[in-house]
Amino acid sequence: MSGSGERRLNVPGMHLTPLGGGALLLEPGEALDPSAPDPYMDAVLVALARHHCTRLIYDLSGSVLVDEIYYRWLERLAWACRISGAEMVAVNIPPAAAYALALRLKESPPFRCELDVDRARHS
Amino acid sequence: MEKKRRPESKSTHQILIEQLKTNMGHLSQVIEEQGKALFVDRGVLGTQDVHEYTLEFLELFVMWLQAGSRLGERTPELTALEQFFSGFARQIQARGGKLETFVRYVQALQRVLIEELEENELYSFEQSREVLLLLARVFNQLVLDVFQAYLREKEQTIEVQQEELRQTSTPITEIWDGVLTLPIIGSLDSSRAMIVMEKLLTRIEEERARVVVMDVTGVLAIDSQVSHYLIQMVRAIGLMGAEAILTGIRPDIARALTSLNIDLGGVTTRGTLSDGLKEAFRRLNIEVRYVGER
Repeated sequence: MSGSGERRLNVPGMHLTPLGGGALLLEPGEALDPSAPDPYMDAVLVALARHHCTRLIYDLSGSVLVDEIYYRWLERLAWACRISGAEMVAVNIPPAAAYALALRLKESPPFRCELDVDRARHS
Repeated sequence: MEKKRRPESKSTHQILIEQLKTNMGHLSQVIEEQGKALFVDRGVLGTQDVHEYTLEFLELFVMWLQAGSRLGERTPELTALEQFFSGFARQIQARGGKLETFVRYVQALQRVLIEELEENELYSFEQSREVLLLLARVFNQLVLDVFQAYLREKEQTIEVQQEELRQTSTPITEIWDGVLTLPIIGSLDSSRAMIVMEKLLTRIEEERARVVVMDVTGVLAIDSQVSHYLIQMVRAIGLMGAEAILTGIRPDIARALTSLNIDLGGVTTRGTLSDGLKEAFRRLNIEVRYVGER
Protein backbone atom coordinates (compact mmCIF):
# COMPACT_ATOMS: atom_id res chain seq x y z
CA MET A 1 0.00 0.00 0.00
CA SER A 2 3.03 2.27 -0.04
CA GLY A 3 3.24 5.11 -2.49
CA SER A 4 4.86 8.47 -2.91
CA GLY A 5 3.63 11.23 -0.66
CA GLU A 6 1.89 8.87 1.62
CA ARG A 7 1.35 10.02 5.10
CA ARG A 8 -0.76 8.39 7.72
CA LEU A 9 -3.07 10.73 9.51
CA ASN A 10 -3.77 9.26 12.90
CA VAL A 11 -7.02 10.06 14.54
CA PRO A 12 -7.87 7.92 17.54
CA GLY A 13 -10.02 5.09 16.22
CA MET A 14 -9.01 5.33 12.57
CA HIS A 15 -6.11 5.74 10.18
CA LEU A 16 -6.33 7.88 7.07
CA THR A 17 -3.79 7.29 4.29
CA PRO A 18 -3.70 9.22 1.00
CA LEU A 19 -3.01 6.66 -1.72
CA GLY A 20 -2.39 8.97 -4.59
CA GLY A 21 -4.59 9.33 -7.65
CA GLY A 22 -7.22 11.13 -5.60
CA ALA A 23 -7.92 8.25 -3.25
CA LEU A 24 -7.92 8.37 0.54
CA LEU A 25 -7.91 5.12 2.52
CA LEU A 26 -9.78 4.94 5.83
CA GLU A 27 -8.91 2.03 8.11
CA PRO A 28 -11.15 1.99 11.18
CA GLY A 29 -9.64 0.84 14.46
CA GLU A 30 -11.23 -0.95 17.38
CA ALA A 31 -11.58 2.34 19.23
CA LEU A 32 -13.79 3.87 16.58
CA ASP A 33 -17.14 4.75 18.11
CA PRO A 34 -19.76 4.94 15.37
CA SER A 35 -22.33 6.30 17.79
CA ALA A 36 -20.27 9.53 18.10
CA PRO A 37 -19.28 10.16 14.46
CA ASP A 38 -18.67 13.90 14.42
CA PRO A 39 -14.92 13.94 15.26
CA TYR A 40 -14.22 11.26 12.68
CA MET A 41 -16.36 12.95 10.06
CA ASP A 42 -14.48 16.24 10.54
CA ALA A 43 -11.12 14.52 10.25
CA VAL A 44 -12.15 12.72 7.04
CA LEU A 45 -13.56 15.79 5.37
CA VAL A 46 -10.50 17.85 6.26
CA ALA A 47 -8.23 15.13 4.88
CA LEU A 48 -10.24 14.86 1.66
CA ALA A 49 -9.93 18.58 1.10
CA ARG A 50 -6.25 18.84 2.09
CA HIS A 51 -5.15 16.08 -0.27
CA HIS A 52 -7.60 16.91 -3.04
CA CYS A 53 -9.12 13.45 -2.87
CA THR A 54 -12.28 12.56 -4.72
CA ARG A 55 -12.58 9.01 -3.47
CA LEU A 56 -12.74 7.73 0.09
CA ILE A 57 -11.96 4.02 0.35
CA TYR A 58 -13.38 2.58 3.58
CA ASP A 59 -11.75 -0.71 4.58
CA LEU A 60 -14.22 -2.98 6.35
CA SER A 61 -11.87 -5.96 6.66
CA GLY A 62 -11.87 -5.72 10.44
CA SER A 63 -15.64 -5.59 10.76
CA VAL A 64 -17.12 -8.92 11.76
CA LEU A 65 -20.60 -7.45 11.73
CA VAL A 66 -22.07 -4.18 10.54
CA ASP A 67 -24.91 -3.41 12.89
CA GLU A 68 -27.53 -0.66 12.69
CA ILE A 69 -25.36 1.96 14.38
CA TYR A 70 -22.32 1.17 12.32
CA TYR A 71 -24.31 1.23 9.09
CA ARG A 72 -25.81 4.56 10.01
CA TRP A 73 -22.28 5.90 10.46
CA LEU A 74 -21.33 4.60 7.00
CA GLU A 75 -24.42 6.19 5.48
CA ARG A 76 -23.70 9.58 7.04
CA LEU A 77 -20.09 9.44 5.99
CA ALA A 78 -21.09 8.59 2.42
CA TRP A 79 -23.51 11.49 2.28
CA ALA A 80 -20.92 13.84 3.71
CA CYS A 81 -18.42 12.72 1.10
CA ARG A 82 -20.93 13.24 -1.66
CA ILE A 83 -21.66 16.76 -0.46
CA SER A 84 -17.92 17.39 -0.44
CA GLY A 85 -17.58 16.21 -4.01
CA ALA A 86 -16.14 12.80 -3.24
CA GLU A 87 -17.50 9.31 -3.50
CA MET A 88 -17.18 6.63 -0.86
CA VAL A 89 -16.27 3.05 -1.72
CA ALA A 90 -16.47 0.29 0.89
CA VAL A 91 -14.02 -2.56 0.43
CA ASN A 92 -13.10 -5.92 2.00
CA ILE A 93 -16.47 -6.52 3.57
CA PRO A 94 -16.39 -10.08 5.00
CA PRO A 95 -18.93 -12.49 3.46
CA ALA A 96 -20.69 -13.00 6.79
CA ALA A 97 -21.08 -9.24 7.29
CA ALA A 98 -22.32 -8.81 3.71
CA TYR A 99 -24.83 -11.58 4.24
CA ALA A 100 -26.15 -10.11 7.48
CA LEU A 101 -26.33 -6.62 6.02
CA ALA A 102 -28.13 -7.82 2.89
CA LEU A 103 -30.84 -9.33 5.05
CA ARG A 104 -31.43 -6.01 6.78
CA LEU A 105 -31.14 -3.49 3.98
CA LYS A 106 -34.31 -2.36 2.28
CA GLU A 107 -32.50 -0.47 -0.45
CA SER A 108 -29.04 -0.20 -1.93
CA PRO A 109 -26.46 1.59 0.22
CA PRO A 110 -25.45 5.16 -0.65
CA PHE A 111 -21.88 4.03 -1.24
CA ARG A 112 -20.23 1.79 -3.78
CA CYS A 113 -18.66 -1.53 -2.83
CA GLU A 114 -15.57 -3.19 -4.27
CA LEU A 115 -13.81 -6.40 -3.40
CA ASP A 116 -10.56 -4.78 -2.27
CA VAL A 117 -8.52 -1.57 -2.17
CA ASP A 118 -6.84 -2.24 -5.49
CA ARG A 119 -10.14 -2.49 -7.35
CA ALA A 120 -11.51 0.54 -5.56
CA ARG A 121 -8.50 2.59 -6.67
CA HIS A 122 -8.77 1.62 -10.31
CA SER A 123 -12.48 1.31 -10.87
CA MET B 1 -61.16 -54.95 50.79
CA GLU B 2 -58.04 -56.64 49.46
CA LYS B 3 -56.47 -54.74 46.57
CA LYS B 4 -56.72 -56.66 43.32
CA ARG B 5 -53.31 -57.82 42.07
CA ARG B 6 -52.12 -56.02 38.98
CA PRO B 7 -51.92 -57.89 35.72
CA GLU B 8 -48.14 -58.26 35.52
CA SER B 9 -47.97 -60.16 38.78
CA LYS B 10 -45.41 -62.74 39.57
CA SER B 11 -47.89 -65.52 39.06
CA THR B 12 -48.36 -64.49 35.45
CA HIS B 13 -44.62 -64.49 34.86
CA GLN B 14 -44.28 -67.79 36.61
CA ILE B 15 -46.92 -69.37 34.39
CA LEU B 16 -45.02 -68.37 31.29
CA ILE B 17 -41.71 -69.52 32.73
CA GLU B 18 -43.20 -72.89 33.49
CA GLN B 19 -44.61 -73.16 29.99
CA LEU B 20 -41.32 -72.23 28.39
CA LYS B 21 -39.17 -74.49 30.51
CA THR B 22 -41.51 -77.45 30.18
CA ASN B 23 -41.95 -77.19 26.43
CA MET B 24 -38.72 -75.53 25.38
CA GLY B 25 -37.87 -78.11 22.73
CA HIS B 26 -41.31 -78.06 21.12
CA LEU B 27 -41.62 -74.30 21.34
CA SER B 28 -38.26 -73.64 19.74
CA GLN B 29 -39.09 -76.08 16.96
CA VAL B 30 -42.41 -74.39 16.19
CA ILE B 31 -40.85 -70.94 16.34
CA GLU B 32 -38.08 -72.04 14.01
CA GLU B 33 -40.65 -73.33 11.54
CA GLN B 34 -42.37 -69.95 11.58
CA GLY B 35 -39.02 -68.27 11.05
CA LYS B 36 -38.15 -70.52 8.16
CA ALA B 37 -41.45 -69.86 6.43
CA LEU B 38 -41.03 -66.11 6.76
CA PHE B 39 -37.30 -65.71 6.24
CA VAL B 40 -35.50 -68.78 4.91
CA ASP B 41 -38.03 -69.53 2.18
CA ARG B 42 -37.77 -65.91 1.04
CA GLY B 43 -34.01 -65.98 1.07
CA VAL B 44 -33.67 -63.35 3.77
CA LEU B 45 -32.00 -65.49 6.43
CA GLY B 46 -30.36 -68.88 6.53
CA THR B 47 -31.58 -71.86 8.53
CA GLN B 48 -28.76 -71.53 11.03
CA ASP B 49 -29.55 -67.82 11.50
CA VAL B 50 -33.16 -68.62 12.34
CA HIS B 51 -32.08 -71.32 14.75
CA GLU B 52 -29.73 -68.98 16.59
CA TYR B 53 -32.23 -66.15 16.70
CA THR B 54 -34.87 -68.49 18.09
CA LEU B 55 -32.67 -69.70 20.92
CA GLU B 56 -31.53 -66.19 21.73
CA PHE B 57 -35.09 -64.91 21.85
CA LEU B 58 -36.26 -67.65 24.17
CA GLU B 59 -33.28 -67.14 26.45
CA LEU B 60 -33.78 -63.39 26.69
CA PHE B 61 -37.51 -63.74 27.14
CA VAL B 62 -37.11 -66.19 30.02
CA MET B 63 -34.55 -63.89 31.63
CA TRP B 64 -37.00 -61.03 31.44
CA LEU B 65 -39.76 -63.13 32.94
CA GLN B 66 -37.47 -64.34 35.71
CA ALA B 67 -36.59 -60.78 36.63
CA GLY B 68 -40.27 -60.38 37.46
CA SER B 69 -40.31 -56.72 36.48
CA ARG B 70 -43.40 -54.86 35.39
CA LEU B 71 -43.79 -53.93 31.77
CA GLY B 72 -43.16 -50.19 32.20
CA GLU B 73 -39.94 -50.72 34.13
CA ARG B 74 -36.63 -50.09 32.42
CA THR B 75 -34.60 -53.12 33.32
CA PRO B 76 -31.45 -54.60 31.79
CA GLU B 77 -33.48 -57.62 30.77
CA LEU B 78 -36.03 -55.51 28.89
CA THR B 79 -33.27 -53.48 27.27
CA ALA B 80 -31.61 -56.70 26.15
CA LEU B 81 -34.89 -57.85 24.56
CA GLU B 82 -35.37 -54.50 22.82
CA GLN B 83 -31.82 -54.58 21.48
CA PHE B 84 -32.30 -58.12 20.29
CA PHE B 85 -35.40 -57.22 18.30
CA SER B 86 -33.86 -54.00 16.96
CA GLY B 87 -30.79 -55.88 15.77
CA PHE B 88 -32.95 -58.60 14.29
CA ALA B 89 -35.07 -56.09 12.39
CA ARG B 90 -31.99 -54.31 11.07
CA GLN B 91 -30.49 -57.60 9.93
CA ILE B 92 -33.67 -58.50 8.05
CA GLN B 93 -33.79 -55.15 6.30
CA ALA B 94 -30.10 -55.21 5.50
CA ARG B 95 -30.67 -58.49 3.67
CA GLY B 96 -33.57 -57.12 1.66
CA GLY B 97 -36.41 -58.19 3.93
CA LYS B 98 -39.31 -55.97 4.87
CA LEU B 99 -40.24 -54.62 8.24
CA GLU B 100 -43.69 -56.06 7.64
CA THR B 101 -42.19 -59.56 7.65
CA PHE B 102 -40.54 -58.86 10.97
CA VAL B 103 -43.88 -57.76 12.44
CA ARG B 104 -45.46 -60.98 11.18
CA TYR B 105 -42.69 -62.93 12.87
CA VAL B 106 -43.32 -61.20 16.19
CA GLN B 107 -47.03 -61.93 15.84
CA ALA B 108 -46.11 -65.55 15.16
CA LEU B 109 -44.03 -65.69 18.36
CA GLN B 110 -46.96 -64.42 20.31
CA ARG B 111 -49.31 -66.89 18.64
CA VAL B 112 -47.03 -69.83 19.37
CA LEU B 113 -46.89 -68.98 23.06
CA ILE B 114 -50.66 -68.52 23.26
CA GLU B 115 -51.38 -71.79 21.46
CA GLU B 116 -49.04 -73.57 23.82
CA LEU B 117 -50.97 -72.13 26.73
CA GLU B 118 -54.31 -73.15 25.23
CA GLU B 119 -53.20 -76.76 25.08
CA ASN B 120 -52.45 -76.70 28.76
CA GLU B 121 -55.60 -76.95 30.82
CA LEU B 122 -53.93 -76.41 34.19
CA TYR B 123 -54.62 -72.70 34.37
CA SER B 124 -57.81 -70.86 35.15
CA PHE B 125 -59.53 -68.48 32.80
CA GLU B 126 -58.31 -65.58 34.90
CA GLN B 127 -54.70 -66.77 34.76
CA SER B 128 -54.89 -67.37 31.04
CA ARG B 129 -56.33 -63.93 30.52
CA GLU B 130 -53.49 -62.33 32.48
CA VAL B 131 -50.91 -64.20 30.41
CA LEU B 132 -52.56 -63.11 27.17
CA LEU B 133 -52.55 -59.51 28.32
CA LEU B 134 -48.90 -59.67 29.30
CA LEU B 135 -47.89 -61.18 25.99
CA ALA B 136 -49.91 -58.62 24.04
CA ARG B 137 -48.37 -55.73 25.93
CA VAL B 138 -44.77 -56.84 25.83
CA PHE B 139 -44.78 -57.77 22.17
CA ASN B 140 -46.65 -54.64 21.14
CA GLN B 141 -44.11 -52.57 23.03
CA LEU B 142 -41.20 -54.36 21.37
CA VAL B 143 -42.68 -53.92 17.91
CA LEU B 144 -43.35 -50.25 18.62
CA ASP B 145 -39.73 -49.73 19.69
CA VAL B 146 -38.45 -51.33 16.52
CA PHE B 147 -40.82 -49.31 14.38
CA GLN B 148 -39.76 -46.06 16.05
CA ALA B 149 -36.08 -46.89 15.48
CA TYR B 150 -36.89 -47.69 11.85
CA LEU B 151 -38.67 -44.36 11.42
CA ARG B 152 -35.78 -42.46 13.01
CA GLU B 153 -33.33 -44.12 10.65
CA LYS B 154 -35.51 -43.33 7.64
CA GLU B 155 -35.82 -39.72 8.70
CA GLN B 156 -32.05 -39.46 9.07
CA THR B 157 -31.59 -40.93 5.59
CA ILE B 158 -34.06 -38.46 4.15
CA GLU B 159 -32.27 -35.57 5.85
CA VAL B 160 -28.91 -36.69 4.49
CA GLN B 161 -30.35 -37.07 1.00
CA GLN B 162 -32.00 -33.68 1.19
CA GLU B 163 -28.71 -32.12 2.23
CA GLU B 164 -26.93 -33.80 -0.67
CA LEU B 165 -29.62 -32.55 -2.99
CA ARG B 166 -29.23 -29.05 -1.63
CA GLN B 167 -25.49 -29.17 -2.16
CA THR B 168 -25.64 -30.56 -5.68
CA SER B 169 -28.65 -28.61 -6.94
CA THR B 170 -26.93 -25.25 -6.57
CA PRO B 171 -23.49 -25.60 -8.13
CA ILE B 172 -21.46 -22.41 -8.28
CA THR B 173 -19.13 -22.50 -11.25
CA GLU B 174 -16.45 -20.10 -12.39
CA ILE B 175 -17.00 -20.15 -16.14
CA TRP B 176 -14.47 -17.42 -16.84
CA ASP B 177 -11.99 -15.42 -14.84
CA GLY B 178 -14.08 -13.34 -12.53
CA VAL B 179 -17.43 -14.71 -13.75
CA LEU B 180 -19.44 -17.06 -11.60
CA THR B 181 -22.64 -18.80 -12.65
CA LEU B 182 -25.26 -19.97 -10.22
CA PRO B 183 -28.10 -22.03 -11.69
CA ILE B 184 -30.88 -22.33 -9.14
CA ILE B 185 -32.99 -25.43 -9.60
CA GLY B 186 -36.16 -26.40 -7.77
CA SER B 187 -37.75 -24.54 -4.91
CA LEU B 188 -36.07 -21.74 -2.99
CA ASP B 189 -37.02 -21.51 0.66
CA SER B 190 -35.38 -19.51 3.42
CA SER B 191 -32.98 -22.24 4.55
CA ARG B 192 -31.84 -22.95 1.01
CA ALA B 193 -31.49 -19.25 0.24
CA MET B 194 -29.31 -18.89 3.32
CA ILE B 195 -27.05 -21.80 2.33
CA VAL B 196 -26.75 -20.57 -1.26
CA MET B 197 -25.95 -17.05 -0.18
CA GLU B 198 -23.23 -18.13 2.26
CA LYS B 199 -21.57 -20.33 -0.33
CA LEU B 200 -21.87 -17.71 -3.04
CA LEU B 201 -20.39 -14.86 -1.01
CA THR B 202 -17.46 -17.02 0.08
CA ARG B 203 -16.81 -18.00 -3.55
CA ILE B 204 -16.94 -14.37 -4.64
CA GLU B 205 -14.22 -13.60 -2.14
CA GLU B 206 -12.13 -16.66 -3.01
CA GLU B 207 -12.37 -16.26 -6.78
CA ARG B 208 -12.33 -12.46 -6.72
CA ALA B 209 -15.39 -12.61 -8.91
CA ARG B 210 -16.65 -9.48 -10.58
CA VAL B 211 -19.89 -10.78 -12.05
CA VAL B 212 -22.36 -13.41 -10.88
CA VAL B 213 -24.92 -14.73 -13.33
CA MET B 214 -27.85 -16.24 -11.44
CA ASP B 215 -30.05 -18.35 -13.64
CA VAL B 216 -33.55 -19.09 -12.40
CA THR B 217 -34.78 -21.11 -15.38
CA GLY B 218 -35.04 -24.13 -13.12
CA VAL B 219 -36.90 -22.44 -10.29
CA LEU B 220 -40.37 -23.92 -10.06
CA ALA B 221 -42.21 -20.81 -9.00
CA ILE B 222 -41.21 -17.33 -8.05
CA ASP B 223 -43.58 -15.71 -5.62
CA SER B 224 -43.12 -12.63 -3.45
CA GLN B 225 -41.03 -14.58 -0.92
CA VAL B 226 -38.72 -16.07 -3.52
CA SER B 227 -38.25 -12.74 -5.25
CA HIS B 228 -37.42 -11.28 -1.85
CA TYR B 229 -34.64 -13.87 -1.44
CA LEU B 230 -33.34 -13.13 -4.92
CA ILE B 231 -33.23 -9.41 -4.23
CA GLN B 232 -31.35 -10.09 -1.00
CA MET B 233 -28.84 -12.19 -2.93
CA VAL B 234 -28.37 -9.45 -5.50
CA ARG B 235 -27.83 -6.94 -2.72
CA ALA B 236 -25.32 -9.18 -0.93
CA ILE B 237 -23.41 -9.70 -4.18
CA GLY B 238 -23.25 -5.94 -4.59
CA LEU B 239 -21.89 -5.50 -1.07
CA MET B 240 -19.07 -7.86 -1.99
CA GLY B 241 -18.17 -5.59 -4.87
CA ALA B 242 -19.49 -7.83 -7.62
CA GLU B 243 -22.37 -7.35 -10.03
CA ALA B 244 -25.37 -9.63 -10.31
CA ILE B 245 -27.20 -10.54 -13.48
CA LEU B 246 -30.46 -12.44 -13.18
CA THR B 247 -31.35 -14.66 -16.13
CA GLY B 248 -34.01 -17.15 -17.12
CA ILE B 249 -37.13 -15.37 -15.97
CA ARG B 250 -39.77 -17.20 -17.95
CA PRO B 251 -42.77 -15.31 -19.37
CA ASP B 252 -45.12 -16.86 -16.82
CA ILE B 253 -42.86 -15.79 -13.99
CA ALA B 254 -42.55 -12.28 -15.37
CA ARG B 255 -46.33 -12.15 -15.50
CA ALA B 256 -46.62 -13.44 -11.94
CA LEU B 257 -44.11 -10.90 -10.65
CA THR B 258 -46.02 -8.11 -12.33
CA SER B 259 -49.31 -9.21 -10.85
CA LEU B 260 -47.67 -9.30 -7.41
CA ASN B 261 -46.38 -5.76 -7.92
CA ILE B 262 -42.84 -6.93 -7.34
CA ASP B 263 -40.31 -4.50 -8.69
CA LEU B 264 -36.96 -5.95 -9.64
CA GLY B 265 -35.80 -2.48 -10.56
CA GLY B 266 -32.09 -2.10 -10.07
CA VAL B 267 -31.52 -5.75 -10.83
CA THR B 268 -30.02 -6.45 -14.25
CA THR B 269 -32.01 -9.17 -15.95
CA ARG B 270 -31.64 -11.07 -19.18
CA GLY B 271 -33.94 -13.61 -20.77
CA THR B 272 -31.48 -16.44 -21.13
CA LEU B 273 -28.26 -17.62 -19.55
CA SER B 274 -26.56 -17.01 -22.88
CA ASP B 275 -27.61 -13.37 -22.88
CA GLY B 276 -26.56 -13.09 -19.27
CA LEU B 277 -23.07 -14.33 -20.11
CA LYS B 278 -22.80 -11.91 -22.98
CA GLU B 279 -23.68 -9.09 -20.61
CA ALA B 280 -21.11 -10.31 -18.12
CA PHE B 281 -18.40 -10.33 -20.78
CA ARG B 282 -19.44 -6.89 -21.93
CA ARG B 283 -19.03 -5.53 -18.41
CA LEU B 284 -15.58 -7.03 -18.17
CA ASN B 285 -14.63 -5.66 -21.58
CA ILE B 286 -14.25 -9.17 -22.91
CA GLU B 287 -15.05 -9.76 -26.55
CA VAL B 288 -15.89 -13.18 -27.93
CA ARG B 289 -15.26 -13.59 -31.65
CA TYR B 290 -15.45 -16.42 -34.12
CA VAL B 291 -12.06 -17.44 -35.43
CA GLY B 292 -11.97 -18.70 -38.98
CA GLU B 293 -15.02 -19.79 -40.89
CA ARG B 294 -18.28 -20.24 -39.08
